Amino acid sequence: MCKVCVVCIETMAARQTILNIQNLVNPSLLTVKRNYKRWLAPTLKELKRRKMKMGPEPPTRRSAFLEWNYHAELFAFGKRLGEEFRKDLLQRAFTHRSYIVQEEMRQKEVGIEDPKLSLEDNQEFIRRGETLMSEYLKCHLRVALPRFPEEGICAVHGYLMTDKTLAHVSRHLGTKDIILSSDFPVEEVTLATTLKALVGALAESSGAVRAREFVRDFILTQLAGRDINEFWEIKDPMRTLADILKRDGRGEPEPRLINESGRNTILATYQVAVYSDKQFIGLGYGESISIAVEMAAHDALKRLFHTTENMKPIPFTVDVRSMSYDESKWNTSVNDWSSAKVENVDC
Amino acid sequence: MSNSHLFLPSGFPRAPLQNGIGRFVCQLQRITIKFCKSNGSSRGVREFIEKDLLDFAHNYPGIVVYVKPRRHHSPCLSAEYLNGERQYVNCHNHSRDEVIKWVNLLRTESGNQIIRLRKMWHTDCPSIQGPWSPFVNRDPHLNVVEFPNESLSRPVYLPKTATEQLKEIFEKQRQTNVSSLDEKQAE
Repeated sequence: MCKVCVVCIETMAARQTILNIQNLVNPSLLTVKRNYKRWLAPTLKELKRRKMKMGPEPPTRRSAFLEWNYHAELFAFGKRLGEEFRKDLLQRAFTHRSYIVQEEMRQKEVGIEDPKLSLEDNQEFIRRGETLMSEYLKCHLRVALPRFPEEGICAVHGYLMTDKTLAHVSRHLGTKDIILSSDFPVEEVTLATTLKALVGALAESSGAVRAREFVRDFILTQLAGRDINEFWEIKDPMRTLADILKRDGRGEPEPRLINESGRNTILATYQVAVYSDKQFIGLGYGESISIAVEMAAHDALKRLFHTTENMKPIPFTVDVRSMSYDESKWNTSVNDWSSAKVENVDC
Repeated sequence: MSNSHLFLPSGFPRAPLQNGIGRFVCQLQRITIKFCKSNGSSRGVREFIEKDLLDFAHNYPGIVVYVKPRRHHSPCLSAEYLNGERQYVNCHNHSRDEVIKWVNLLRTESGNQIIRLRKMWHTDCPSIQGPWSPFVNRDPHLNVVEFPNESLSRPVYLPKTATEQLKEIFEKQRQTNVSSLDEKQAE
């Protein structure tokens, strides 16, 4: 009986009981009394009031949690992506210059005269990764879109290499918590440069082919479901079209109004087709005739470049070894684009 | 859609980061198993840790597993996904099999917020032929018609009036009468 009482006292909070302590003098008279906890609601209210007064909590680093093992995280990172990273190189790819500087400052503040860290930053990997990534993306785009002018290729490449796109990819690969950098929450630039450094580290540990496959699988696939033409704005499509037709030895482009509806209303719509030598080459709609002519010229250019809505999708499973990486294989510039120049390319 | 789904946000199925087009990446990045070493409510979770956890960690090396004992609390699974979302499963009094099922569910989820699916599929390009407009497949002879035009101003479909139907019936009867008379004369 006495033993039971002791257990009761220990688990008083859990069992929501209040013991009449005085009865402990005589254990046989022990009574258990249950009450409403009148203090509970006011306490919780007061706690909540104080919490609200403090404002929102600042975000905490995931690495500050008790359940955090940096080496396990690094190991899992490579395995998750199906890549074999060398551990030291991977850790180096995640270490930014700002982190090392911050750590050295911290050590100096503590009083260490000559702070020494056994860490190397990822500057070199970033440079190497960026070159490799940029080179491969352009090469793949040229193979996938052989009739698309070089300016367009550069525009699509520019979109893929922006910090926003790269940061999006990087964040969704799980680098956010592992990055060693002074800024928190991690900025877009840091996320993007980390991804470049990862490509560099991968090229160092498993070879350039694996690195290119990594770029193909994670960065190039951002184009899936996107319209290629939206990245490249042609300033004066009618003039561009006229120049191209002239180089081809065909007649001037001739826009003709082929349908219209609701003239002089706010819902007016016009349909314009462009003809050259009485041959149909493009079709466009617009709420005014000038817009419709411009859209028709855009459509004619899309048909020439084979980037219409029903184009063959960009292949994401091409063997990266089959591509040649020489600078001479640039696509034709839009300023000397003609059908004869792209005749021999396979598409 | 039932009433219980009124407050669920709705949307279309989306894979995070075009997952599966390039290569598949398991979206669960770390899982924390919290349990008590002595409490009865953690029994199934303890059995899972003793018997299945090593195999799980071995089979899925891309998932970081943390095991966190804490006294006299209900066990739970806390899963963190690559998109920054977090799922929490309370495993109070769960058996070992139930824990296995929940862990597998967490592993195969995308981590996206739970939504009511408007359709079971989604495409960014609904039509490769381009959008339909009233001008598509329009009869070319309409380009040279002068309006107002009498034949085009009539309704496209007019049902037969009662008078017309009666006339038709009368005509049919007269035809049959004529043919039967002809037959009799031939006999």
